[in-house]
This record gives sequence, structure tokens and C-alpha cells, in this order.
Amino acid sequence: MLFPTVEYAIFFLIVLAVAWALESRPFWHKLFLLAASYLFYGFWSWRHVPLLFLLSLFAAVVARGIQQSEDEARRKQLLIVGVAVSLLVLVYYKYTSFLVLTALGLWGLVGRTPVWNLPAPFLPLGISFFVFHAISLMGDVYRRKLRVKLHLMDALLYVAFFPQLIAGPILRASHFIPQLMRPVRRGISDVQRIRVNRAFLLILAGLFKKVILSNTLSTRLVEPVFAAPGSFHRGDVLLAIYGYAAQIYCDFSGYTDIAIGCAILLGYHFPKNFDAPYTATDPQDFWQRWHISLSSWLRDYLYIPLGGSRVGSVRLYANLMITMLLGGLWHGASWTFVMWGGLQGVYLIVHRVWKASSLHGVQRLRAARWWPWVARVLMFHAVCVGWVFFRSPTFGVAAEVFRRLGSGGTITLATMPVVVALVLGIFGQYVPRVWRRGVEAGMSWMPIGFSGAVLALGVFVIEMLGPTGVAPFIYFQF
Amino acid sequence: MRAYRRTSTVQQMSVSLVVFVVWMVLLDSGGLYDWASRLELGPERRMALPTATWVHRALAPLGIEKERRRGLVELARVGWSDDPEALAAARPVVVKKQVVVADVMTKVVGPAPVVAPHPVRPARPLVLEGAPPMWSVLPKIPAVKSDETRTVALAGDSMMAVGLSPAILQQASQYKDLVFLKLFKSGTGLARPEVFDWQLEYPAMLKDEMPAFIVVAIGANDGQGFVEDGVTYPFGSEGWQRIYAARADSYLQMLEAGGATVVWLGLPPMKDGTFDDRIALINRIDYSVVKASPHAIWYSTTGLVGDGNGRFRDFGEVEGRTARLRQGDGIHLSTDGATLITAKLLPWLAEAQSEIVDVSKK
Repeated sequence: MLFPTVEYAIFFLIVLAVAWALESRPFWHKLFLLAASYLFYGFWSWRHVPLLFLLSLFAAVVARGIQQSEDEARRKQLLIVGVAVSLLVLVYYKYTSFLVLTALGLWGLVGRTPVWNLPAPFLPLGISFFVFHAISLMGDVYRRKLRVKLHLMDALLYVAFFPQLIAGPILRASHFIPQLMRPVRRGISDVQRIRVNRAFLLILAGLFKKVILSNTLSTRLVEPVFAAPGSFHRGDVLLAIYGYAAQIYCDFSGYTDIAIGCAILLGYHFPKNFDAPYTATDPQDFWQRWHISLSSWLRDYLYIPLGGSRVGSVRLYANLMITMLLGGLWHGASWTFVMWGGLQGVYLIVHRVWKASSLHGVQRLRAARWWPWVARVLMFHAVCVGWVFFRSPTFGVAAEVFRRLGSGGTITLATMPVVVALVLGIFGQYVPRVWRRGVEAGMSWMPIGFSGAVLALGVFVIEMLGPTGVAPFIYFQF
Repeated sequence: MRAYRRTSTVQQMSVSLVVFVVWMVLLDSGGLYDWASRLELGPERRMALPTATWVHRALAPLGIEKERRRGLVELARVGWSDDPEALAAARPVVVKKQVVVADVMTKVVGPAPVVAPHPVRPARPLVLEGAPPMWSVLPKIPAVKSDETRTVALAGDSMMAVGLSPAILQQASQYKDLVFLKLFKSGTGLARPEVFDWQLEYPAMLKDEMPAFIVVAIGANDGQGFVEDGVTYPFGSEGWQRIYAARADSYLQMLEAGGATVVWLGLPPMKDGTFDDRIALINRIDYSVVKASPHAIWYSTTGLVGDGNGRFRDFGEVEGRTARLRQGDGIHLSTDGATLITAKLLPWLAEAQSEIVDVSKK
């Protein structure tokens, strides 16, 4: 069930109505949301619903064990077992083929490659996300970030809650579970605090970014070029690289906008996942704006446990590289994703060196008024280089894309919809935040129901302007 | 009375949502009807379709749906829409959209054809062949003329869009004599013309091109029942097989109509057993239809990407290394898997001549 479909709209309206009707009965409210979440997942594949249930049940039991134990050694043992089992599940489903093919490739260097006939497992949708949620649950309990007593239902719902289940944002247990338990939530004061206008605007913005911008760029520019870069010349290839930068932003941030909007209507708060990433002036800034929930997850559960920044420079660079390489691998079981992660690691290390430089020329350059704009352009293009590896199925295709940048020829794919989508997808991030808040404030002065009419008109226009069919979200595959 | 409200109560939110639903139904009853009519057979469709039909009819006098359709055509006219049917409606002088069973596509404008149209053959009742063979041998064709290029259309659904077409297009630079047209669309098929009607859309996609060869991979979405003239045909029933065969035959005749030789790729074995059984039946019907045509060639992919017994396999040897042959969904081919097919197909196409080839017996 994709977000921009009638099926989801009907499903969500029913869930919303029933969930609020059960608001005064917390147990039934949460049980209903849990059942709705499994139903939502089952729409994709019933085959993997038991896996989702069992993994979240396992994480809940381990987390309860950690919470109830006062023995630090025992707590640590439980955490290690819990994280190891969760990661094994992820490795089995997501990385079996990758590991097998890599091993066979290495074997092939020294001898005849054996025949491999064992089947690869079906990849459960969104497994990277729900495994990370399971780890976050155990990790937050272990670090005593979750101060409330953990209930089984809350733990299950945290892992499976449908707005974030398939493609995030990755919630922290310490952020979400207290929302399920908050006593004030049951009081009249809280049900009067739904930011409906904000939710509607987020849903509209998400639909616009996904259905119009992302789909247009995907079908009319990016897919044709990356399917056969050898058939296109410099202009089209360059346009497709920029197009993919805009597409992946619109696709993923569109999804999370809709997810956050739906969560608001249900009475829950999700953290921001994107903050105008292409306005970033350096790699560190970029990772504080792009997929914020993942980068902060990697920071808290991987980079800091590795030692973080409080180590010598060589160790620091190693920590950065390990974190980004694993972050790349998290996105997909392919060496092109590892390359993408490695590039991000290199960018971060170069930036650290640059930032620490005391050279007079460097300091003058950084102080120049125009420097942030040059830095933005440089950063955007560095990100685009990474996206080529991210989008290409093989290194051969990535190499061909770069090679074609040196070929002559005319631009053939710069049609009006493509140019409009590209400009809005990239430069739309420069729209001042105050404008967006202004629209919400403007709607707040309007009569009750006005926002419903605005949402309907917006959805209707988006449906008219969007290409036929809805492509799956890019991040579903992760 | 107006008052500033940053937040709302549940009651206020409910009012907004009711207004949203009412406006949405008013504005988009046509879209709602389209959605309901495209649902697969089952309880969801049984509930949704009568309701959507009633709403659509009740609101028709308001004229909103008419304006919506006109808006879509206008969007196509200004170059916004990529929908072939809307584009064709916006440019009615380019292609006359009327292709029915055993009819020949009529072109109004376009260059002189490089291939002569095949004679029209009458529709035939289905004579179901046995299972298609695991391996196919491509027929001998005279060598290509040295100073010509030939146009090869890639047609079908996501079975062509994913894996196959990228593999073909990535290798295209090695075959300078071949020019490729992309005439495929994901999420389509032959079982549900009310969802996507190839008879209407294909001529609009083809425009005035005259491919000499058309490589087709289609049918992965067709393992479902349908409704024809108010009668429900569950998948695999006798009536379903008869009607599906007629639709496959119409599609094949439409492809052949311009004089092209059609190379119909059999669907590969699927990972899920139940789905594989359905695909096996679709392959049998398509094979029967293709075998009856003198202008079409059946090319089996089972032997190339399946295991020794014709069953699904994830891994295989490609260019001396072990590679994954299928996508993670167990349905579509990976680019490596598709390479096993294109390695045979493209050299053969590059050697074929661009004139009409009568492949009388395969």
C-alpha cells in the first residue's frame, strides 16, 4: 500500500477515526494501531508479518530483561545478544547474496569458482528500518534513556507503527514510547493540540514532491539515462545526475513528510528527517540535514561507541570512515553503496582537515562573504558525484556515466516538465522557512473545514499533474 | 467567527476531514471510478466499484469530470503529460487510434514504411499447445545489408522495463546497426484492458515509427481474473483462457500489423510456486498464440535463466562468474540474468535483414 494511493487514503481515514474513538481506552487504542500496522505491512506481503512480529517480540523481551536487571554485566550480555541476533536477521535477509557473490568472486581469483545453487531469501520490505528500531529499543533501555517502564504492547507498536514502518524516519524508543504512555495524552488538554494545518501541509508537500517532482524526474530523465548512459551525450547525462539528486531528495523527503503528517493527525510526533540538505555548506552540515534520523542513529549507536571525536586524529578519521562505510552498506547490499559511503567518509575527513587548517589563505577564504555560496555549490556537486554510485547498479554503469560527461552532443531530455521539476526539486530548498510557517499561520485564521477544502483541491491538482502510475519509493528497497 | 487556531481539537479535525472527503469526491469522482474499476477481482472491488459507479453517475451532471478530462488533454497539449492516450487525444492528426482484433493500424502521416504490412489474418479459436520448450532455436535469417540500420522495438510490461531493456540498451553501442525504440510500460499487461489498453496506447507510443523487429516480454501482471461483458472469469477458467488468448492474439496482430517480425520472449520461471503455476499457464497460452502466427517467433527463456529442470534459480554463471540472475522480488530479471538472453538475441538481430521476414515455421 503506497502512500499516494486511494487504498492508503481509505485505510488511513478508517484507522484515524477508530484510533481516536478508542483514545480513552489506551490498551485498545494501542492494540488497534498495532493490528492496523500489521495489516498495512501485510498489504505488501503476509509472508513477512511473522518475522516483523517475532523480531519486535524478541527485542521487547530482551529490552525488558535489560530494564529489570541491575547487574551491569548481565545487562551488557543481554544487549550484545539482542543486537547480534537482530543484525544476524538483517544480514541473512539482506546480505546473503552479496556475501555469497563476494566470496565466490574472491574464490575465483585463486581457482575455479564453485557452482552455487542455493536460493537467496526474499527481502522483507523495510527490514533495515525495523531492525534499526529493534536495536534502538534495546540500546535506549541499556543506556537508561528510556526512563518509563517498558510494556510489551508499546514495544511492539514502536517497532511496527505503520507511518514509519517501511521507510522511516527512524524513531528513537526514548522519543516515541513515552508518547504512548504520557498520562496527559489521555486528558482533554492534549486532544486539543493537533496541528491539523501543519499535518495537511506536510501531506500536500509530500505528495507534490513524490507524485509530481520525483516521478517526473524518474520516468522522463533519470531512468532512461541510467539504463543506458552510452546512448546519451554530456548535457543529458549531467542533467540526469542533477535530476537524480533532486529525485532522491523529493522521493524520500516526500515520503517522510507524509509519514510525519499522518503521525500528527494520529496524535504522535515524529522528528524532522530533512532540512534543506542541498543548502549545506560542508559535509558535516549536509549530514545534519540529510536523513537526519539515520545519521543521528549512526552517530549515537556506532560513531560514539567507536570513540567518536574524543580520540586522536587517525582514530577519528577511522571512526568516520567505518561509520560511513557501514552507513553505505546499510542502504544496499552492493559495492556501489559501499563506494558511496566511502566517498562520504572521505568528504568528512577532508572537511575535518580543512576546518583544522590554520593556514592564513584558508582562513581568509573561509571568512570571505561569498565563500558560503561557493561552498554550497562545491558541496552539492560532491554530493552529486556520490549519487552517481548510489544510483548505478554497477561500477561499469557509473564509469560510463562519468565517461559520457566528456562527450559532445545536444540536450534532448530537457523538456518543460523535467526542467520545472528539477528547478523546484533543488532550488525549492532555498524557500525561507518563514514562508512555510506563514502559510500555516494564514490557514489558522480560516474557518474550520477550510484546510480540508485546501487539502482536497491540492490533492486533485497533484493527481492531474502527476505522471500516470506511481513508482515505488526509492527507500523502500532499503 | 474567525479566530486564530494553531492547533485543533479532535472535533475540529474531524470537520476538516469530512470537508476534505466531500470535496475530494466532488472534484475527483472520475478518478475514484477509474481506481475502483482497476482493482483486482475480490471483496475490495465488490464493495468499491458499485459505490464509485453510483457516485460518478450521480455527479456527472455537474460537469466536473468532463472538465477534468479536458484538463488532462490540455496538459498533454502543452507538453506536460506523458500519457500516450492523452497525448494522442491532444494531437489527433498524428495517429488514428482504432485498432481492433484482426484490424490493421491506420496511419495518417509518417514516412514511407521500410517494411510492408503483413496480410490480415482472421481471429482463431484457442487451440492450447503443450508447455513451451525449455530452449528455443532462433531461425536462420539472411545476412543484413551492410548500409542499413534497422529498428528494433522493445515492447511489454515491467518484464521488459526491468532487467531486459537496460541490458539491451547497455549493449546497444556494440550493435551500431540496431536502433531501439522503447514501447514498454510497467504495471500493464493483457488481462485488464480497462486498466491499460494496449490497443489504444500502443499506436500512440509507436507514433510513425515502423520497426522491423519487435521484442516482447509481457504477462507477469496477468495472473488474475477479470470481468468481461459483466461476467466474472476467475483466473485459469476455461472462459478466462479463451478470452486471454484472444487478447494476446489481438496484441500480437497489432504488433505485426506494420510488417514487423515479433520475437515473443517466454516468461522465465518464478520463485513463488503458486505464481509460477500461473505464469506457466500464461506461457502456454502465449506460446499457442505465437505458434499460430507466421510472423512471430517464440523464444523461451526458461532454459537460459532457469535451472536444469526449468525451475527458478537465483544464481548462475554469467561471463565466467557467478551472478544473481533475478531481482529480489523473484519475478524480474537482473541485468546479469537478462544478459544471458540478450547474448543470444542481439547478435541474431544484428544479423537479420530489415526486410519483411516470413518466419513460416518455427
